[in-house]
Amino acid sequence: MSKSSAWLRGTIVRKSGLSSSSLNTRPSTPAQPVASTSTASFGGGVKDATGKVSEYSSMEDQCPVCKSDRYLNPKLRLLVSACYHKMCESCIDRLFTLGPAPCPICNKTLRKLAFMPQTFEDLSVEKEVAVRRRLAKDFNKHREDFPDAKSYNNYLEEVEDITFNLINDIDIPETEERIAKFRRENAVLIEANIQRDESYAALLREQEELDRQRRGERARELAREEEEAREARETERRELIDTLENSSKDARALVAQAARRQREKERADRERRERMAGAGAETSAARAMRARAAVSAMPDVPHVPLQDDWYAYEDKFTIRTEGYYDPMSEAVRRDREGIMKAGGYAVDEAWERALRYAVAGLGIAPLSSSEPLSSMTAALVVAGDDAVMAI
Amino acid sequence: MAVELGEQTSDAAEPTTTRKPLYEGSTQFKHWRYSVEQLREIRALLNVTAVNAIKNAFEIDIPGSSENVSFLTSDEEHLLVKLYIGKVSQLCGHFRFPEEVEATAVSYLKRFYLKNTVMDWHPKNVMLTALFLATKTTNNPISLEAYTTHIPKTAPSDVLDLEFLVAQSLNFEFSVWHAHRALWGIYLDVQNLPDVPVDTLHEAYRTAVKHVRASRLTDAELVYTPSQIGLAAFSLASPDLAKSWAVSKDAESMLPIVRDIEEVIRRDGNGPDVENLGARPSSRKKAEEEAKAKEKRTRKADEVRRAMEAGDPFGQGHEVGPQGAVDLNLDDDDDDD
Repeated sequence: MSKSSAWLRGTIVRKSGLSSSSLNTRPSTPAQPVASTSTASFGGGVKDATGKVSEYSSMEDQCPVCKSDRYLNPKLRLLVSACYHKMCESCIDRLFTLGPAPCPICNKTLRKLAFMPQTFEDLSVEKEVAVRRRLAKDFNKHREDFPDAKSYNNYLEEVEDITFNLINDIDIPETEERIAKFRRENAVLIEANIQRDESYAALLREQEELDRQRRGERARELAREEEEAREARETERRELIDTLENSSKDARALVAQAARRQREKERADRERRERMAGAGAETSAARAMRARAAVSAMPDVPHVPLQDDWYAYEDKFTIRTEGYYDPMSEAVRRDREGIMKAGGYAVDEAWERALRYAVAGLGIAPLSSSEPLSSMTAALVVAGDDAVMAI
Repeated sequence: MAVELGEQTSDAAEPTTTRKPLYEGSTQFKHWRYSVEQLREIRALLNVTAVNAIKNAFEIDIPGSSENVSFLTSDEEHLLVKLYIGKVSQLCGHFRFPEEVEATAVSYLKRFYLKNTVMDWHPKNVMLTALFLATKTTNNPISLEAYTTHIPKTAPSDVLDLEFLVAQSLNFEFSVWHAHRALWGIYLDVQNLPDVPVDTLHEAYRTAVKHVRASRLTDAELVYTPSQIGLAAFSLASPDLAKSWAVSKDAESMLPIVRDIEEVIRRDGNGPDVENLGARPSSRKKAEEEAKAKEKRTRKADEVRRAMEAGDPFGQGHEVGPQGAVDLNLDDDDDDD
């Protein structure tokens, strides 16, 4: 019975497509909790919002080393090595329990602890995420750390460059050297940025906590008010009954008066509540976010070419209102159904453009021979060097 | 950025007469305008750089092997580009592309070879890519499959592989001011002159269009403005009308320039003479081969003579004698052929 239930559990896991690791961990593999593997090496696996690592698995999973697949072993769990090769847990146990050993696929020396759960179907994505997470630790400069947008862009470009190299295994030693150099040169700034990011995160957390407290208080306040209002209504009603009993006035007038008082009071209460809600709506966290955004926003006025004031040779030509003798545009002008003009083509505009071309730059003398090549030559020399490199 | 903004505001503040003319804001004016000497210099420089690069590559492989290679001169390179400019118009005729596509493609091709050499990039594929790019940039798109299947021995990859390179060499400046449009404008505007017979005008226009097409084979568009080229073409067809139009535009001072362009069109406006084109390189090669053959003959004669002197008239000593090394040398030579 227990055997069949275990098998059943296995099927459920298969259907959901996600193996919840704690369920499937076999007693024969000690030290298997996800946390221990995921903290090693690049710290693979991506945590979701709840802080759990959701692993990827599929029906077609097969261990490339021992070729056992999910059909034979429903509890098959594939982990990813530091060199991004998949292996099943039993292979990992078999190969790496006695200490570091070469990867059976690429011969890179691996350790048992450096295996991590797979989060993404595509291992290249897995690798990219890991590389980016690793780089983000050191390359944590912000826009404010740069004097202008250009240097910031150059920095981003360099980070992307290094990321690309690491992902695609290009010039690894050289790239590592670059990272190390960056780390050396910016040690102070990196540390400061880490602390700044942490304090910012702490601030956000604090403010969230504060907001939550405030919301709770407000809810309690509302409940209390509700209670008070109910009691007030109750006393009012009792008073009304008392007066009706004791007074000699007209009963209908008294009831109407009490109802009016009640309505006024309710309105006042409602207004007060609305005012309070309006004041509290804007949370401090949102304010902090906006303040930060305002600091980082740089005044950058875009250039709108349409607003440029060009001299378009208006005084050099006049377009004839009665049209021209022009066999070239005959077909368009004859086109009564407007098929050719569907896209907004107008012969007048074409004529105007042609006339503008006819007079544009008519008086510009060609460049004289004496003018130096200057920048052109420099560019060519550089291009020439490139050509040498390419060959 | 700030400097530019400052300039713009000051421009706007000044009276309208100092506004910048449209053509002078174009990339064609700013980046693709040269003097004749500059063109020659650029081409020579490109040629020298490429030749040196190739020579270096040869030398790294086998030292001394670049000595016998005959490299193209910059004039020959230019001639090759010109040949492929001619092919552009053939292709455009085949595809029935509008004139604008043809003119744009030709401009792209010329501009490309002011940044690259035919020794690095063969003009055939560059020409196809430039034309394909031109169809897109002038809003006359054609599917890549339709394009390549109609050109023999061409695969889509031939065009696509170079597309970015070509675009990059053009600095992504795709907009071109064309002389044929200027000519059309002149043709329209001449009708404003008094007493212009419509028939002769149209006849002149048709001739002038041919001259504009001829001008595409020249460097005119890299030196002069499109309106000047259009006027020159028109002037070749009908000098009197062109002159009176120029006078009406207060541009008589430009007439000498127009003469220059006419001269350029007349001189360079013909396609390269393919029949006589190959003469130089092959003749040089032939001469080299002859020299080699002669050297071999003399060496052989030498050997025979030495063999005779050694008293071995039938060369039996070849297998064992000290001449074995020489023999090997000869074999080497034979292999070379």
